[in-house]
Amino acid sequence: MDNSAFPLSARSRRRPFFRLFTIPAVLVAIVFTIAMAAILQYSVRAQIPGSLDVGGFTLANFSAMLRPLYARVFADTVWLCLLTAVISLVLGYPLAYALVRSSNVAVKSFILIATVTPLFLGEVVRTYSWIVVLGNTGFVNSVLIKLGIIVQPLQLLFTVTGVTIALVHVTLPVVVIMLAAAISHIDPDYERAAESLGAGPLRIFFTVTLPLSGPGIVAGLTTAFAWTFSAFATPQLVGGGKVNMVSNLVYQLGFANFNFPFAAALCVAGLLLTYLSIFLMRLLLRPMEKVGLH
Amino acid sequence: MKRIFVASAALTAILWTAPAFAAEKLVISSWGGSWKELIEQTVVKKFKADTGADVEFVTGGTIDRLNKAKLAKGNPESDITFTTSHVGWLYANDGLFETLDMAKIPNAKSLVEQAKISPYHLGSWAYVYTIVYRPDLVPADIKFDSWADLWKPELKGKLSAPDFDTSHLVAVAAKLEGADAANWEKGNAKLKALKPNFKAYYANDAASQQLMQNGEAPVQVMLSMNAYYIASQGIKVNVAIPKEGAVLGIDTVGIMKGSKHSDLAYKFINALLDPDVQKEIATVKKGSPVVTNAKLDPDVAKLPGIFTTPEQWAKETLVIDHKLRAEKTGEWRKWFTENVIN
Repeated sequence: MDNSAFPLSARSRRRPFFRLFTIPAVLVAIVFTIAMAAILQYSVRAQIPGSLDVGGFTLANFSAMLRPLYARVFADTVWLCLLTAVISLVLGYPLAYALVRSSNVAVKSFILIATVTPLFLGEVVRTYSWIVVLGNTGFVNSVLIKLGIIVQPLQLLFTVTGVTIALVHVTLPVVVIMLAAAISHIDPDYERAAESLGAGPLRIFFTVTLPLSGPGIVAGLTTAFAWTFSAFATPQLVGGGKVNMVSNLVYQLGFANFNFPFAAALCVAGLLLTYLSIFLMRLLLRPMEKVGLH
Repeated sequence: MKRIFVASAALTAILWTAPAFAAEKLVISSWGGSWKELIEQTVVKKFKADTGADVEFVTGGTIDRLNKAKLAKGNPESDITFTTSHVGWLYANDGLFETLDMAKIPNAKSLVEQAKISPYHLGSWAYVYTIVYRPDLVPADIKFDSWADLWKPELKGKLSAPDFDTSHLVAVAAKLEGADAANWEKGNAKLKALKPNFKAYYANDAASQQLMQNGEAPVQVMLSMNAYYIASQGIKVNVAIPKEGAVLGIDTVGIMKGSKHSDLAYKFINALLDPDVQKEIATVKKGSPVVTNAKLDPDVAKLPGIFTTPEQWAKETLVIDHKLRAEKTGEWRKWFTENVIN
């Protein structure tokens, strides 16, 4: 709609509570901006050992990030985020598809409950349950040993595998919900048309349904990626200090080392890296997104 | 009429003799969970009986509370703060603690030397970070008489230690190399050699207890009070005191500068150092008393990590200077992260 057709006063009359309802959002935005400004300010200050006060301006915090340890944690974080996003997509797509397309109410309800319930549990509770499941004497190892498949327990805790499993559990519900929303917007007539032209179920899926769900796939991938980037409790507990992500480093530097300036610099770098990664992902996935905007 | 007069007189007498602090409230900053419960069950009970004053808790993590205190400098949220000995120095360095008037804490006369941390904060109970192990999951011939036993190849992939505070192992490695925490670099090579034995690093007490309970890390550099908690849950764990001494930890208390209830705060600290309260703390949570006149039950007194004689305090503890620790924790932690964890 061309807004110029309505002068401001006319628009205000059409939306009488617009300004009033915007106030909370503006206040929240102001608070977040102040918080971000504080972090930015801390990131360029020097640490004073033995004190929480900060010293003069410096860029040393950013140059310190180029050291192999910190560069590796950034690389590990990006890798874990990608892995989690892709696995969530691969596992989530069939679930979302069945959720939308199944005509069986019981199946729909089961999928919905199974995928959404984890959202109502805290991240810490979910993570602790994974510690119980993945441990040396946990569910997975006990079953595999009893079945005679393995003799010695598999090392799942404190490994990238264990952390990824737990992270996927955190992101899967969100990815399923986003994909289900995208799939539900696909007009079934497209699929019927393909079927009437002789396409089989697999061809219909790969040439019609999957491309048309592109926006959901892009949204799911980028959300899972960004969400995982800020994961803290899961890598902290399941990683056991052996698998570290940026947020764990921020915590360690701030709360164990009292080095708030360096922790703030890591926050800023992490935020920039998230933006950059999502920008690149969207650039790569743009063709898929365009196809889906039917 | 006579009955009413007698009742009125009695009521007046009760009100007259009631403690003068009855209407006041002391705000205590402490950790939450079992730590808050410990303070409530022991010190607060005595404090309320002595003064009639009420208390309110503000709980949170060690550094969270320090940050909040910094933001509220001059108009503190709490009157009393419990914190660790070295973080107490951060409060003191930032001018958040009041200089204590020891004349107002008569019970402090019995305080052991190791608990006189600074003119601003005093020990409230003690514990050790030491070697704790599950005898059923560790080779029987390893007894942990020395910290050097942690380096034995048989313990490959069995060890865990806190990742939030690496000062214990830094000080131990230096000691094993004939140095002290001030010359911690001398233990660096030794500490790097311990890397293969680590299974995981724990981020909090709960994670430490879980790693011990499920056997993932059956040997730990662990808080003695946590070890006794696990033992109370039916898990057989041994608490070793190596010949070099167990690393002493002291939780402390200080009065916030700007407190409006300073007199009550002094009474609270005095109640904390009361020998019976100290005995209770040792009984409930197996924290070592920090006064010399607490009479512990023999079953509690004999536990490793509980010190009742000057000889025990001297021989069984490895003390890291608290101020040095406050200044060096960051540097030690950074070195440990770069060279051992990763």
